[in-house]
Amino acid sequence: MVEEKENVANGEQVSKKGAKKLAKAAKKAEQKAENASAVAANNAGGDSAEDHAAGKYGLSEMIQSKDKRIERNFVPVSELSGQVGKGLVWVRGRVHTSRAKGKQCFLILRQQSSTVQCILAVGDVISKQMVKFAGNIPKESIIDIQAKPVAVSGKIESCTEQSLELSVEQIFVISQAKAQLPLQIEDASRPENADDAEGLNIRVNQDTRLDNRVLDLRTPANQAIFRLEAGVCRLFRDILTEQGFTEIHTPKIISAASEGGANVFTVSYFKDSAYLAQSPQLYKQMAIAADFDKVYTVGAVFRAEDSNTHRHLTEFVGLDLEMAFKYHYHEVLHTIGNTFTAIFKGLRDKYAKEIESVGQQFKVDAFKFLEPPLILQFADGVAMLREAGVETGDEEDLSTPNEKLLGRLVKAKYDTDFYILDKFPLAIRPFYTMPDPNNPVYSNSYDMFMRGEEILSGAQRIHDAEYLMERAKHHGIDTSKIAAYIESFRYGCPPHAGGGIGMERVVMLYLGLDNIRKTSMFPRDPKRLTP
Amino acid sequence: MYELKTLLPQFDIKLPTCMYHLKNVSLAADPLASGSSTSATTSASTSSCKLEANWISKTGRNAATCALDLDSLGRQIQRLLKDDTASVAARQEKVLKQLEELKAQLGQIRAGLGVCGKTFQHTTAFQNGGLKEVPLQDVVINGHPNFIPYALLALKNAWRDLYTIDVKTFTHSTMADIGPAAREFEANLAKIPVNPALPKISVTLIWKNCEHTEMISSPTMYVPIYGEVNIIRYLGRVGPAEYRYEGSPLCNEIDLVLDICYQLLRCNTHKTQVAMVRLLDKRLQKQQYFGGSQMSVADIGVYSSLIRMPAITDKDLTPALLAWRKRAKLVVQI
Repeated sequence: MVEEKENVANGEQVSKKGAKKLAKAAKKAEQKAENASAVAANNAGGDSAEDHAAGKYGLSEMIQSKDKRIERNFVPVSELSGQVGKGLVWVRGRVHTSRAKGKQCFLILRQQSSTVQCILAVGDVISKQMVKFAGNIPKESIIDIQAKPVAVSGKIESCTEQSLELSVEQIFVISQAKAQLPLQIEDASRPENADDAEGLNIRVNQDTRLDNRVLDLRTPANQAIFRLEAGVCRLFRDILTEQGFTEIHTPKIISAASEGGANVFTVSYFKDSAYLAQSPQLYKQMAIAADFDKVYTVGAVFRAEDSNTHRHLTEFVGLDLEMAFKYHYHEVLHTIGNTFTAIFKGLRDKYAKEIESVGQQFKVDAFKFLEPPLILQFADGVAMLREAGVETGDEEDLSTPNEKLLGRLVKAKYDTDFYILDKFPLAIRPFYTMPDPNNPVYSNSYDMFMRGEEILSGAQRIHDAEYLMERAKHHGIDTSKIAAYIESFRYGCPPHAGGGIGMERVVMLYLGLDNIRKTSMFPRDPKRLTP
Repeated sequence: MYELKTLLPQFDIKLPTCMYHLKNVSLAADPLASGSSTSATTSASTSSCKLEANWISKTGRNAATCALDLDSLGRQIQRLLKDDTASVAARQEKVLKQLEELKAQLGQIRAGLGVCGKTFQHTTAFQNGGLKEVPLQDVVINGHPNFIPYALLALKNAWRDLYTIDVKTFTHSTMADIGPAAREFEANLAKIPVNPALPKISVTLIWKNCEHTEMISSPTMYVPIYGEVNIIRYLGRVGPAEYRYEGSPLCNEIDLVLDICYQLLRCNTHKTQVAMVRLLDKRLQKQQYFGGSQMSVADIGVYSSLIRMPAITDKDLTPALLAWRKRAKLVVQI
């Protein structure tokens, strides 16, 4: 009825398209019906014979904590090699692939990053129906198997556990997955090998991955990336705590925009409105004024920038630190630089396996750095750029291409991916940056770069209320809006400096990935709010 | 020749009395100058000028047709010079004396700061009034901790009074631990202070897991220089004049010795090392140093190479070489 109306109204093209669509839908329905009948026929055929392994397989009822079953000892797949020849073990994992051929079924069981081959062969223990059942378990279902680890003569190339296989005796499905998956884990974990013309070229689009993040995160590379990210946070906390820092938690709902009003999210707060914090800067400084001396904070940062680039998110995790010093802000600069170097060393030494896992799918260049960290002056950086033929002014901020070029020059000369640029010109820094006492052109501020991209911007903050007012007026900022900020310095505040980094950006640059969404578990950008 | 009529007819010009008189340099005489000479003027020069003017105007009136009389011009100039020469000379004397005093002051300041006399040879400037100090050279040396470039320390000591080498050490991420020998080397490097008064060469030493000792001078022209001996050659060229050997007649000799060092560092067996040592001895013969009577880069090269070869014991070295080593040690101090 509706089709005919469309036909009459829109002319010939639509009717053709409409007809094609109808034909396709009809074909699909036909095939589905055929499959269903075939499956039913199979099942019926199988059931006719006697099943001597009746209680050893099947769909388990939903686990509602009915039995404790403590007699079943579960062994992780990564530890199976130690269990060879020691009898039966229970393993819970996901079905990575399963294929049944006549009297045998090969099933690959996956547990996070490890995979192991399981084999079911028709015999005394296992029946034909069981083999058929095992072959039909949908991919990604969670299963419990009781099996005997058996050493194999040849290496199994397609699994991580290459020297053994599991000979299954009991198999139960704990949670069945839908038959049609929106994306295949195999496709999602295929390496991007442009040179290999022979290999399968099926990739999964980033949007598809992000829409079905739950499936995408199961790939071994993603598992490794997020464990590495956890490692970065853990190392950050450990290294700073060892140096006497205290972790604080700053509020995210604030009354006034801290760094310029343009890029803040507004939230309705009872009868008024409030803002989501752009950075914990203000509260870190207040904590220093409150005698905490050395603080760090790990929390969310919200930036309402309408930038759809490979390195911007609207919400990310910020690792910030602030420290009071005695006489020179270099005390803080060296602390931050050494913290970074220690994080890189920790990742290099303790997370080598994860880095290798990521390298299986994405091209990863080993991250190089120097110890102690390389510190160049801004003027030297400008000189290097000029030597390379780029015209840039003495007080001009580094544009993104210049930043990248400088990164490449430093890499060519010193062979390091991480370096610090000290003494930036005063004109391009925010109003609370302390100017250089020896040279009015420069300021006591610094930036840190990884692989040519900026990851940290920091400076010595002005801790004197009067001077701060003066500098704010000089920048044309309305002092009434930042009255509370200035007030906090009126009750005695030690000289302090600090900086903050974006965790996702650091992991992305450490691994040399191309998009920050790969390192954010559920990324948020101007076009994405779910999952 | 025919006579010309005067271009400017003589006419009376009323001079204002509030103005002051300038010396009359032109010969187109001002007849009224004589008129104003009666007014009270105290300056001798102006009165003499008036007299001149008077005299000239008289002559001018007599010979009205010819305004430009070379003779009279010459006489006028001579008179002017005679009268004013003395004062000009006196002023010049004063200015010269002031210049002398300034020069003496500068000399004192220079002595006080201890400036090296060879300031014209390089670009280093002091940080006075915002002038930026720039090092002569800024190079990066990548070395493996198992092959420590002792030449750097040797040069630092040998050039202590001439140039200053500022070495900053870093450990690259490809090296897990540099070992005690490298750490000791770093400590020794740090012991020698950086003298800001001398021309500076900045060296960044990076301990890296690399095969050869290599040096990178500029990131845009990435052509690394391999081998410690070649690094010595490079530093010799940019170093103080006493160590620049290219112009000297011993140039070939020094190069030959450095080449022997290069080969010595590559010898694996003791036999080949001893053969190299014998070659060195042949080059040294009866000289004080490898480059003649003065220390040169060749000595630096041989000394640092020998430190790198602990397999060469004192027994392998000839007495001449042993004596030379004692002499070189005084300068190199390793």
